[in-house]
Amino acid sequence: MISAFIHKFSSPKSFVQITKTLYPLFIFTGLSMLIIGWTWGLLFAPPDAVQGNSYRIIFLHVPAVIFAELIYFFMALCALMHIVWRVRLAAYLIKSAAPIGAMITFIGLFSGSIWGIPTWGTWWQWDARITSTLILFIMYLGILTLHGSFSNLEKSDRLMSILVVIGVVNIPIIKKSVDWWSTLHQPASISVSGGSSIDPSMLYPLIISVIGLGFTLISLGILTSRSYILGREKNKKWVLDHV
Amino acid sequence: MKLISAQNISYKINEKMLFHNLSLEVYSGEGLHIKGGNGSGKSTLLKILLGITSLSKGLIEYKNQDLKISYLGHKNAIKNYLTPAQNLQLLFGNASLSNAFEWLEKLNLFQVQDELTANLSFGQQKKLALIRVLAQSSELIVLDEPFVGLDTAASDLLNSFFVQKLSEGTGLILTSHIQPSVECQIIELDKANA
Amino acid sequence: MLRLIKIESSKLFYKLKSWLGPMLIMILVLTAFPLSIDISQFDLEKFYFSIIVVSLLMTSFLATEGMFEEDFEDGSLEQEFLIEQDFYKVVLSKIFVYVCFIGVPIALIGAIFSVANGVAIESFVSVFLSLSLSNLLLFNLFAFGNALSINKGAMLGVLTSLPLALPVIILLGTAIRSIQYGNGFLEIISLMIGMGFLISAIMPLIISTALKTHID
Repeated sequence: MISAFIHKFSSPKSFVQITKTLYPLFIFTGLSMLIIGWTWGLLFAPPDAVQGNSYRIIFLHVPAVIFAELIYFFMALCALMHIVWRVRLAAYLIKSAAPIGAMITFIGLFSGSIWGIPTWGTWWQWDARITSTLILFIMYLGILTLHGSFSNLEKSDRLMSILVVIGVVNIPIIKKSVDWWSTLHQPASISVSGGSSIDPSMLYPLIISVIGLGFTLISLGILTSRSYILGREKNKKWVLDHV
Repeated sequence: MKLISAQNISYKINEKMLFHNLSLEVYSGEGLHIKGGNGSGKSTLLKILLGITSLSKGLIEYKNQDLKISYLGHKNAIKNYLTPAQNLQLLFGNASLSNAFEWLEKLNLFQVQDELTANLSFGQQKKLALIRVLAQSSELIVLDEPFVGLDTAASDLLNSFFVQKLSEGTGLILTSHIQPSVECQIIELDKANA
Repeated sequence: MLRLIKIESSKLFYKLKSWLGPMLIMILVLTAFPLSIDISQFDLEKFYFSIIVVSLLMTSFLATEGMFEEDFEDGSLEQEFLIEQDFYKVVLSKIFVYVCFIGVPIALIGAIFSVANGVAIESFVSVFLSLSLSNLLLFNLFAFGNALSINKGAMLGVLTSLPLALPVIILLGTAIRSIQYGNGFLEIISLMIGMGFLISAIMPLIISTALKTHID
């Protein structure tokens, strides 16, 4: 029953059709919110009491690292669907999300390094969060390499899903273990329950840029996954009708 | 007695159909010869029948769950860094080992049994690999291109082995470009597709 | 199961480079390291352990590199599948044999070298135990990486299994610090034993799924 339901709504065909209408909406919302968030953050938000203007990279760094992990969890969800219900679309989505995840993780690491120079006086520290983000980046690379290694694409889909699921189990273990090993990072500035230690004048543009980046990444994902799906299913009748 | 049957099986790879709605049956004491050009999916069909490759559509039924199958694919499944004698010791338990060594002698491999398998010729390696099937008792024999690389003597031996096994009630499925001397039902994959 | 263990151990026995190679490299690195630094300036026993840990990581990766490749390439995996209908036992016995005949000896070499470089002889058993357990964990994890990548070379193997191996390295580092400072060793070693059981039971299941996908 449940599998019949999932298969009905997860056909690559309906995905391509639905996202075709959603895409303009997402890209418009995403880009405009990013522009608002970043202009606000970079030009109008007050400088930080301790860090001065260098903190402004937060508007890139924080959204990036948030999505570095969120994209992985999204992929893990897809991987589960692919393994349990054999949903083809799920594998296509993992394959299309992985490069975006790798890119945003790299941006997160890179912006963090730039931020580290004025604040910590060093661009790299073997600190728990940096290390686990670096490992996350390696995991993305592993997934990408794995999928590119086999000529039988259905085979690589399945192996990739296994790796993604193992990886998502591994993420908390890595976090726990590197925490245990050493930590230097400031504790997370925003928490859902206990209010935030960041001033509202900085918080609002930050939230806006997070949401904006989210929509932008989703539209990017729609773009890449659509072309990937059309490529993979090019022998199917619906693709010929669609193009 | 029906050993294995396939009903309306289809297989596709990368969304490309290899074969479609294929049905076949093998009874004990019966042979099946799968023909087809290169890349027509003969080896894949064998692996599907064995349950190694999962099919896209259709159904495969065995006589019972633990039908004893002996199989040799186009990979020899012998170890290059071991001698033929050591290879056989890995493959066979004490009970059937002497039988395996008899085959070693019949196939003219006795004098090289202590050389490294890597140093044997292609045909000798193939013969060694075939012993896995020859010296094993099973209800169904599945072979992928068994005659490739064999000399005439070994081919004759293999043919007479087929005759003997079929008369004992064993089933046989093989792919080959060379006509085996036993009588088989024939499936042509190229035509089945068209 | 016994049949598989017998097969795997005799195969490994004749593959000299697979088991002797990692051990020799372990010895080589552990000997070469003190020669490459100025001992009069550095306190060797303080960080000699980290060299042992890193060589352990390297050699266990090396030892497991061709674990499934050969059986996949020559068709033995297909044959085993026909016999067992599953790879769980095959993988389990393979890892068992590799840990026993490569992992434990490497751990022993590491423990001997640690004692030779100023670690108290009383802690020999603790060092040996924690190194062996890490090898059990590492072999399972690297086996997974190799099962995914089979014949696609070391790069893919490293990329897929390094993220899994790092927590083990951190755990081992903590275990060794606890040996050096003389407290908390029991907790960490029990954690490692628990993880060892868990991973040795679960990993072969995942690996066999991956192998099944490969022969498919």
